[in-house]
Amino acid sequence: MTLQKLDGKTLAEMILQGAHHLNKNSQMIDALNVFPVPDGDTGTNMNLSMTSGAEEVKAVDQNHAGDVSKALAKGLLMGARGNSGVILSQLFRGFSRAIEAKEVLTTKDFSDALQGGVETAYKAVMKPVEGTILTVAKDSAEASVSLAAKESDFLAFIEGVVEEAKSSLKRTPELLPVLKEVGVVDSGGQGLLTIYEGMLANLKGEEMPDIEEVVSMDDMVNAEHHKLAQDFMNTEDIEFGYCTEFMVKFEEDKLAENPYDEDQFRQQLSELGDSLLVVSDEELIKVHVHAEYPGQALSLGQQFGSLVNMKIENMREQHTSIVGEKKNVKKPAKEKAEYGIVTVSMGDGIKKLFESLGATVVIQGGQTMNPSTQDISEAIKQAHANKVFILPNNKNIVMAAEQAAEMAEGEVSVIPSKTIPQGMSALLGYNPEADFETNKDEMTGLLSEVKTGQITYAVRDTQIEGLTIEKGNFMGISEGKISATDKEALATAKTLLNQMIDEDEDEILTILTGEDVDEKDVAELEAYIEDTFEDLEVEIHNGGQPIYPYIFSVE
Amino acid sequence: MSVDLNNKYGHITISNEVISTIAGGAAVECYGIVGMASKNQIRDGFTEMLRKENFSKGVVVRQEDDNLHIDMYIIVSYGTKISEVAHNVQSQVKYTLNKTVGLSVDSVNIFIQGVRVTSD
Repeated sequence: MTLQKLDGKTLAEMILQGAHHLNKNSQMIDALNVFPVPDGDTGTNMNLSMTSGAEEVKAVDQNHAGDVSKALAKGLLMGARGNSGVILSQLFRGFSRAIEAKEVLTTKDFSDALQGGVETAYKAVMKPVEGTILTVAKDSAEASVSLAAKESDFLAFIEGVVEEAKSSLKRTPELLPVLKEVGVVDSGGQGLLTIYEGMLANLKGEEMPDIEEVVSMDDMVNAEHHKLAQDFMNTEDIEFGYCTEFMVKFEEDKLAENPYDEDQFRQQLSELGDSLLVVSDEELIKVHVHAEYPGQALSLGQQFGSLVNMKIENMREQHTSIVGEKKNVKKPAKEKAEYGIVTVSMGDGIKKLFESLGATVVIQGGQTMNPSTQDISEAIKQAHANKVFILPNNKNIVMAAEQAAEMAEGEVSVIPSKTIPQGMSALLGYNPEADFETNKDEMTGLLSEVKTGQITYAVRDTQIEGLTIEKGNFMGISEGKISATDKEALATAKTLLNQMIDEDEDEILTILTGEDVDEKDVAELEAYIEDTFEDLEVEIHNGGQPIYPYIFSVE
Repeated sequence: MSVDLNNKYGHITISNEVISTIAGGAAVECYGIVGMASKNQIRDGFTEMLRKENFSKGVVVRQEDDNLHIDMYIIVSYGTKISEVAHNVQSQVKYTLNKTVGLSVDSVNIFIQGVRVTSD
C-alpha cells in the first residue's frame, strides 16, 4: 500500500506523534545541550513549544492540510521558548506558508514546505551558526527535493528525509567545535530529528521506542568541556538555590475565591526567582522556577487548586557535586604578604610611578593636603602585610607617619623621605628578599644619595635668603632652600638646575612634570639640559602633581 | 570607562569597547536578531541597519557603582516571538561575557528598535 496524497488528518496525526516523541525524549535532549548556553534546557524548551503547537493542531478542523500546518505554526509561535523553540516556530512558519492553500499534499508539496521552512528560518538570523538545528533542517530539506522528484510514496519519502536528518545530525560536531569537544551532537538538531522520527513512526503505524543512546547527565559531566562550563559559575553565585517544578490541578471552589490569571501568577512567581516557566490550560498549571524559597512558590500555586507532581532539587548541592568542590568551603582569606610599602604622592603620574616601583598602597596627598594619621593607619591595614615601610615624601607628613607606625600592629617603620625623589630613590633600595633591618638601613641610606629640586610659585611677596620674591613669581627650591626666582617657570628651572647639577658627580636627572606644564616648555628645558650638561642622562615623567610645575631628582 | 580586574600577578583593564564588541558578537549569533540599531534612532529618522562587522554599535555599556549594565538596541525578524528572542539574547550575552572575560553582568537590557518584515 502506498500513500501518495497526505490529507490534513494524517498530517495532524503525524505532528501529534512527533510532538509526543519529542516530549518523551526531552530530558535526553536537555542533557545534550552545550550550545549556545550550556544550561540544559533545549529539550524542555522545544517540548514546551511543540506541545503548544500540538494543542492548536488538536483544536483545529483537520480536513485541510494547509489549515493543520497553519495551526501548528500559530501554536509554535505563541508557545516558543528558548532559542531552539523560536527556530522551530520559524521552520514551521515557513513550512505552513508554502502549503497554506493545499488541502492534500504530494511529496513535492511536502518538500517545498520543508524548503520554505528553511528559507524562513535562515532569514531570521543575522549570523547563522552551522552545526545546529538550522543545519539539520537545511540538509534534510535539500535531500527532500531530490527524493520528491523520484518518490511519490510518502512512506519512502519521509524515510529518506529522516535518514538525511540523522546523517546531518551526526555531522554537527564537525561543524561546531564545542560539540566535538564535548563529544555530543547538537541538542536542537536532535530535537528536530526526534520530531521527524515521530512523524515517520506514525506513517508506519508504529509506536516509537525511546532513543536508544540515552546520554545521562552523569556522562555529560565527565566531558571536560562541560565541567568547564560549570566552572564558570561559582556555587556561591547561584542566587536562587532550588529548582522547583510542580503542577497545580485547578479546583472549582478555590478558583471561585481566587480567580486564576496566568500573567499575574507569573508576575508573582517571578518575584521569587528566575528561570521561570508557567504553562496552563483549563485543568492544569505547570510551573518551573528556580527559587530561594520553594515553599512560597508552592503556596502561591495552592491558591488555585491541589499540587501534583512536585519536584524540588537543591541546585547548590548539585552544582557543588558537579564541579567537585568541597562542601561549604569558603575561600581562605588572602594571605598576608611579607612586606608592604605605604607611600604618599601628589598627582596620578607620580602614583603610577610609585606603583611601578613596588609600592603597595599609595595615598594621595602632599604639600597642601597632608594625609592624617588615620589615613596612614588605614593604608597600613590595606597593605595587608606583616612588615610595612612608610615613605611620607614630605617633612610635614613624617610626624603623622611616625604616629601611625606606633599605633599599628606588626612591624612598621617610617623611612623619613622628605621629597618625592627621596621616596623614589628609597624604594629602589627595597629588596623583598632581605630582612626588615637591612631594608630599613638600605632605604634610609639612599635618602641622602639624591638631590631634590622643586619649582613652585610664591603666594605672597617675601624676602628670603637674599632673594626678593614677588607674589605669583616662580621659586626654585633646592633641598628645601629657595635659591632661584623668576617670572617664568622655565627660566627658574634653568637657574635652579645650574645651581644643583655638579657635572663631575651627577649622572642622572629625573624630571617630574606637573599638571599644568606646557609640553613646549618641557621640550625646551630638555634641549637646554642636553646642550648645557652633555654627559647627563635625562628622564622625563609626567607626574601630574599640582602646585609644582617641575620636580627634579638629581643623582 | 573601563572594567578593572585584579589578580595576584597584577591588573587587567578591559575597555568598554571590548565589552560591547563581545556583547554585540554574542547577540548577532542569536536566532531572531537581524541587525543592531543605533541608539539615536529618532535622530536618524529611520532605523539604521548597522553593518555586521561593527558589533559594538547599538551596545551601550554602563557602570553604576560596582554594577555593570548593558543596553542593546536590536532589530528582530518579523514572525518570531520577540520576548523570547530578547530573552535568548540576554542569556547568551551574559553567558558569553562571563565565559570570555569572566565578567558578571548585572543586567542586559534589550531595546527592540525595529522589526524587519522579510518578503516571503
